[in-house]
Amino acid sequence: MAIGRTIRDEFDWPLFIAVSTIALFGVLNLYSATDGGTTSDAYVQQLYWLVLGFGVAALTAAIDYRHFERYGWLIYGACVLALILVFVLGKSVRGSTRWIALGGFSLQPSELMKIGLIIALAKYLHHDTKTGGRTLADLIIPGLILALPMGLVLLQPDLGTAMILAFIFASVMMLTQLKLRSMVTLLATFVVAAPVTWFYLLKDYQKERITAFWDRLGGTQGDLLDSGWHTHQSLVAIGSGGLTGKGFTQGTQTRFRFLPDQHTDFPFPVWAEEHGFIGALLLICLYLFLVLWSLRVASQAKDRFGAVVAVGVGAMLFWQTVVNLGMVSGLLPVVGMTLPLFSYGGSSLLSTMLGLGLLMNVSMRRFSH
Amino acid sequence: MITLSQRREVGEFRKRYRWMALFVVLVFAGLIVRVAQVQLFQRDRWSGIAQQNITKTLELPATRGVIRDVEGRVVASNRPSYDVYATPRLLHPEDLERITSLMGLTHDEGEALEGRIGGLPAERRTHQIQLFRDIDRDQLAAIETHLAELPALDIITVPLRDYPYATLGAHLIGYLNEVNEADLASASDPRAYRPGDRIGRNGLEKRYETLLKGSRGFRRVVVDARGRALEGATPDSLDVEMLRKPVPGHDIQLTLDMRLMEAFDRAFRPHPSGAAVVVDIHTGAVRALYSKPVYDPNEMSSGLSTRRYAELTADPFRPLIDKTIYETYFPGSTFKVITALGALQDAVVDPAERVECTGFIKIGRQKFRCSKRHDWVDLYDSVVQSCNVYFWELAEEVGIERINRFAEAFGFAERTGIGVNSEAKGFLATREWYEEHYGAFRIGYTLNTAIGQGNTRVTVLQLAMAYAAIANGGTLYVPQVVQNVRAPDGSLSETFQPRTKRDIGIAAQHLDLIRRALVDVVQDEDGTAYRARNEDGVPVAGKTGTAQVVSRKGRSEESSSAWYLDRSHGWFAGFAPADDPQVAFAVLVEHGGSGGASAAPIATAVMQKYFSEPGEGE
Repeated sequence: MAIGRTIRDEFDWPLFIAVSTIALFGVLNLYSATDGGTTSDAYVQQLYWLVLGFGVAALTAAIDYRHFERYGWLIYGACVLALILVFVLGKSVRGSTRWIALGGFSLQPSELMKIGLIIALAKYLHHDTKTGGRTLADLIIPGLILALPMGLVLLQPDLGTAMILAFIFASVMMLTQLKLRSMVTLLATFVVAAPVTWFYLLKDYQKERITAFWDRLGGTQGDLLDSGWHTHQSLVAIGSGGLTGKGFTQGTQTRFRFLPDQHTDFPFPVWAEEHGFIGALLLICLYLFLVLWSLRVASQAKDRFGAVVAVGVGAMLFWQTVVNLGMVSGLLPVVGMTLPLFSYGGSSLLSTMLGLGLLMNVSMRRFSH
Repeated sequence: MITLSQRREVGEFRKRYRWMALFVVLVFAGLIVRVAQVQLFQRDRWSGIAQQNITKTLELPATRGVIRDVEGRVVASNRPSYDVYATPRLLHPEDLERITSLMGLTHDEGEALEGRIGGLPAERRTHQIQLFRDIDRDQLAAIETHLAELPALDIITVPLRDYPYATLGAHLIGYLNEVNEADLASASDPRAYRPGDRIGRNGLEKRYETLLKGSRGFRRVVVDARGRALEGATPDSLDVEMLRKPVPGHDIQLTLDMRLMEAFDRAFRPHPSGAAVVVDIHTGAVRALYSKPVYDPNEMSSGLSTRRYAELTADPFRPLIDKTIYETYFPGSTFKVITALGALQDAVVDPAERVECTGFIKIGRQKFRCSKRHDWVDLYDSVVQSCNVYFWELAEEVGIERINRFAEAFGFAERTGIGVNSEAKGFLATREWYEEHYGAFRIGYTLNTAIGQGNTRVTVLQLAMAYAAIANGGTLYVPQVVQNVRAPDGSLSETFQPRTKRDIGIAAQHLDLIRRALVDVVQDEDGTAYRARNEDGVPVAGKTGTAQVVSRKGRSEESSSAWYLDRSHGWFAGFAPADDPQVAFAVLVEHGGSGGASAAPIATAVMQKYFSEPGEGE
């Protein structure tokens, strides 16, 4: 086999370096966020997860992605099955059931579902014979591919992940030449669906967060005790960082526990408080690079499957990053959303690493046949 | 092996990458702008909140200055009060129930407390507010025992004002109570007072508020999001002042002698109401400023109930009124010396000339009665025996203008300038005033004025100051109650020198004549205060007076005390010791009847005590 040579020649160094840098920053940040607290060894665990994650990514990258195409439905099916298992075996954390205990650690199937969805959509589009001018009817099957896992995730309920699944779907479908008329119809459907969602589907606490968000955008103080409190303290952390930050492990918002979930959903304020605008800009630019790079990989992919996978992974990174940063900087309502590579958490890191492995895979095989 | 049946068309996708890239760049640019806005342009605001977040400011109240009397006896000081504070953000609803039961509050009080905390705006919820003030020992024990389970609570010990002499001198010393909106609005330094603080509301406490108050300090502690203090965990980035020590207020030493005040209190026991003033004739320093009855300043400080306030206002002996400086009275015969001195100084009378007192005189159809038939008396005798007829005869010669002119010289109808509380001016009726109010001027008005009836009204302090001028040779002083002010370190920061109001300009021999007469009021067997003399004791000189009370007919006919309230007031004003005057005094016994029987014994007894006890006094 020529794989050894191929890897040396085609290895995507920019992608690897960007990913490694973000992951390293993430571990440092985690150290600071948990230093002196009850979970002060979290960064060691995160290091283990990272090693595992890089291993998984390497494995994913090594296997020719045509195998993933071939077993696409199987992978998708396995992920859906895992989602169903959540309701049977799952454990409940803060009112929603998202986890399955696997031996010593917990697995979040909804995280893996993101990759399952990307592969399934890629497989579907790969075999689709149409080359342009798609109508709504052409969206029915991909729509169903989305609807099944999304419905299951909403039942948990996990609004954030469901949203990301929908965003991945929408981004991927944007690749195809959807007719203008169809787009308008979609938009109209969304407008009708929004109030229905608000009144029938959203839980009270979810509505509360959105209300708090609108209050804040409108300039009123809102209730600092509940939802608004998180965003307020997050802004205090980011804002007080200034240009150069308070220094590593010197963030007062972090050290004195004013940030909620500071190592899972709110690691960016920790980073921004301690490293200031310069650090924040550096981190945001690394994410921007990752997303743009995945588009570049997609554009160079040799087939539709590769292109869709690259765009799907790029979309996953993009939307999670934007929603998380938008949330912590007060531009979007608070939803549970991790910052890829940077947040503490095994499942999130594993799914991200799987995605990045796929991306590397597509990147390395852009010229081979 | 792996074979894709056909190479799929990727051209369809090509057109979209640029748009996607553009979209991604625009969204990230938006995020960067937002982060820049928060970190670069709003930095100060968020930094401020970050510092507030992690610091809890504990107030260190200043100790209010102590007020002492001339001998250093403590008149106003401080005792500890245990106050309960809470950080509302950390209070859970079940905590409030707990507090309600620990404090032994009623259901309604508990609900009121809940309402108060629920009504706080969000930005105040992270700052401590006062829940209770001056809790008792049982409550303190209950709260302290459970403090660990109620992290929102804090017990803070603050000094509370305490008046060891209770009612004695309360009008002058004053009291504190809680600041109101107006105080907060008018304070020169907006940080000086906060809601819940106490401010001098009356008397010296009010007059010297800025000196007594001191300034509060604070201690900042670093806290985590649950409000728990983290000792020694000050982050490098926190550049705020962590400790400012409170500065105690200045101490004030009065000219007042509380032993003298106590002596008056004892001497006044038989009488329900009255007033007395003692001043140093050489300096104007006030040694006693006694008014009876008085409210308890300790009671006023802790807030009067509406019912209690109504009781105080309805009391016929008017405890809220300071009878030494705020109430005015007819001076009665104590005023005769002013008429006499005016006549002597302007030489309208020959002091040796005698007048026959037949017990009355007739002016037109009106008959003016004397206290008794004095037969032939000269000026000296008429002062000693308080003969009205002599002064009526004299009045015609002297005239109302001259009487008023000399009365003004002696400080009547003019505020003494004691500088504490509101002071009444008193009143001297002029010819014009009578014409305006009584239609025409009649000679009878002059006659009444000459003997201190008519419409002349004086304060007890004014009379004492006038007698001090007679005793010291004609110098009218401004009365002073504060001797000096000391800084918290004990150093003198201000000493008050005697202030002269004017030299009255009466020849020494005239003053000497009157003084000798005043001595004989007490010493001579015919003197009106002879029975009040200190046999073989401290010689006291003075003039008795009896001031008619404006009839209260129709006001309290049915009241059992009506007969009493219609009785005349008794006066005695003078100086002591008679042979070497040191102090002047004026004593008024409300509804005491004749001054010789009611007021004079009080004055002589108090002077006896004041000058005879060794090691103290002048």
